[in-house]
Amino acid sequence: MIMNFNTAAELAIMCWAIGSLLSLLASRTPALKLPAFLLSIAGTLVMAGFIAFYWLALDRPPLRTLGETRLWYAALIPLVGFLVEYRWKIGWLKYYCMALATFFLSINMLHPEVFDKTLMPALQSPWFVPHVVVYLVGYVLLAASSVTALHNVYLQLRKKGNITGESVSHFLALLGFVFLSFGLIFGALWAKEAWGHYWTWDPKETWAFLSWLAYLGYLHAFRYKINQSKLQWYLALAFIVLLVCWFGVNYLPSAQNSVHTYTQS
Amino acid sequence: MVVVRRRWFQAPWEFRESALFTAVSVIAGFVIQVAASGRGIAMPHLPFNAIALSLLGVVVLIAGLAFKNTPAVKWFGGIPLGLCLIFAIAVLSLIGGIIPQQPFAKESLPTMLGLNQIFSSWPFAVTVLLFLANLGISLSWKLIPFKMQNLQFILFHAGFWIALSCAIVGSSDLQRLVVPITVGKANNLGYTMESDTPQHLPLSIFLHDFSLEEYPPQLLLYDPHNDKLLMNKAQAILEVRKGTTATWQGIEVLVLDYLPSALPGPNGVPQSADPKTGIPFAKVRINTASTQREAWISTGSPLLKPDAAQLDGLYLIMMPGTPKSFRSAVTVQDEQGHETMANLEVNHPVSFMGWKLYQMGYDEKAGRWSKLSLIEVIHDPWLPAVYLGFFMIMAGNILFFWNGIKRREVVK
Repeated sequence: MIMNFNTAAELAIMCWAIGSLLSLLASRTPALKLPAFLLSIAGTLVMAGFIAFYWLALDRPPLRTLGETRLWYAALIPLVGFLVEYRWKIGWLKYYCMALATFFLSINMLHPEVFDKTLMPALQSPWFVPHVVVYLVGYVLLAASSVTALHNVYLQLRKKGNITGESVSHFLALLGFVFLSFGLIFGALWAKEAWGHYWTWDPKETWAFLSWLAYLGYLHAFRYKINQSKLQWYLALAFIVLLVCWFGVNYLPSAQNSVHTYTQS
Repeated sequence: MVVVRRRWFQAPWEFRESALFTAVSVIAGFVIQVAASGRGIAMPHLPFNAIALSLLGVVVLIAGLAFKNTPAVKWFGGIPLGLCLIFAIAVLSLIGGIIPQQPFAKESLPTMLGLNQIFSSWPFAVTVLLFLANLGISLSWKLIPFKMQNLQFILFHAGFWIALSCAIVGSSDLQRLVVPITVGKANNLGYTMESDTPQHLPLSIFLHDFSLEEYPPQLLLYDPHNDKLLMNKAQAILEVRKGTTATWQGIEVLVLDYLPSALPGPNGVPQSADPKTGIPFAKVRINTASTQREAWISTGSPLLKPDAAQLDGLYLIMMPGTPKSFRSAVTVQDEQGHETMANLEVNHPVSFMGWKLYQMGYDEKAGRWSKLSLIEVIHDPWLPAVYLGFFMIMAGNILFFWNGIKRREVVK
């Protein structure tokens, strides 16, 4: 199993690396544009294929451990990069996204997880996949929003105007917020079925609520026409709350009794 | 252009005044909390909480609509105050997300300030109340006169208002009781999390049977000197089946035979037995550099000692698999004679006369031999209102998403 993962991960990283290289060269040789795109997307397809294969081998959705969620991020984040290029004609984001995906896969290669097919009864629910996948997509969009905002901050410091970049970070945050809201409510509806109540202020719930509030705050600040350039700092930093919610919660004193901590192996 | 700085409290009020107001409110909440000697809020029950909430709604709507152009109301329903209150709720939630929400020593600072039960503390209640007022006033402006373009705003904000207010106000009417039952017996007494005194339920539950299914047992190598389980080369949980192989440093194990349910027979060879009493046995062949041997190992049970194979100071053991599913076959009856039979399982609750029944737990020491089942029974009359709020938020979100991807122009 480990060997299969390493092969798939190395193949995906290679696709992204060569795809990025060709894409950079494409500014001089436009003929390279298509092969660059096809290679980059092939990297994601390799990961998607691996996830499907892993799902079958495990007999359960590979969404239970932190490492398994990193697999999904690695497959999904580059897609956001491609989407932004297609939609807003901004090319640089995809490099960040592929680098981030490579980073996630590297963590998994350095810390192989135990192959474990078991799934506790509480997770055996039709809500499991929609709840986690909606959250994954939300996180992926917000990660891209944060990276874009960081890039905008960098451009500001170098005194370069960048209105398109600011609207991209805004729309990614908006879409991410929508997914975050769905994830939160799906979680509440599932919790009612599994644990009897839709909201119990479990530490993970509290942090999910906090990250939701962080972006709710952003959207209202934006609406109030607070200087959009200043808000780039906010968007860049807001992602930290999400990181705490994703895995930081496990290390907080409040997490002792959480029902939500990812399996550590 | 001359920039004139606005002085404090000069109309229209903005962030400074809002921040000050929010800070004073939160501090006032903490003062009340200390004055009430750390006790949280006692929320009234139905119908009084429903009346109070309706009154709040009406007052907020009237204030928002009748005094629409008053500077004070304009400020009270505005984004600056809303943002400050969101920030205050976030800070209070942050406290709740870091400090464990469990009992502390009586005289300790967290107990006095209510930090260990922040979500039922006075500062949280005061902030949420102000937030509901702020949200409600802003909602009233978009609600009347109604315009189609405000639909997304209305669905999201009204949904949030309904879900938040009903969840908080309705928490006093939420009944959650755990009913412990042994197989072949009925029980109509339930326990809350807070007290050891049982409460009479309007229904009684008879437990016909409790059954638990486990994942296949696991093969593990135990090092007693360091009290550690050694990970095998494949980095996988090894499910015991006929033909399973495992490799550790210098040790190779092959499962020759596997009996999922057996009992020790004469001359040490286990024999298949009824699943109710039998335990898993496996015949393994162990190869080390110098030796090869075969042995029977087993998981053991409350009545049978487990069998392990010893090799060079290490033990090859078989652990029972983790629970895959567990269920209780029950008959539920209320005082009016309504009756229903059901199988309760995790994630598959059953509704009965306004109550919902959940498979909660069992005697974990006894594992699949447990004769005890813990059933949680829940009554939450406010649930439909909260769900209405949830679905409105989701509907608003779909519109938000749609507008978000539709808009192509650059943000100005």
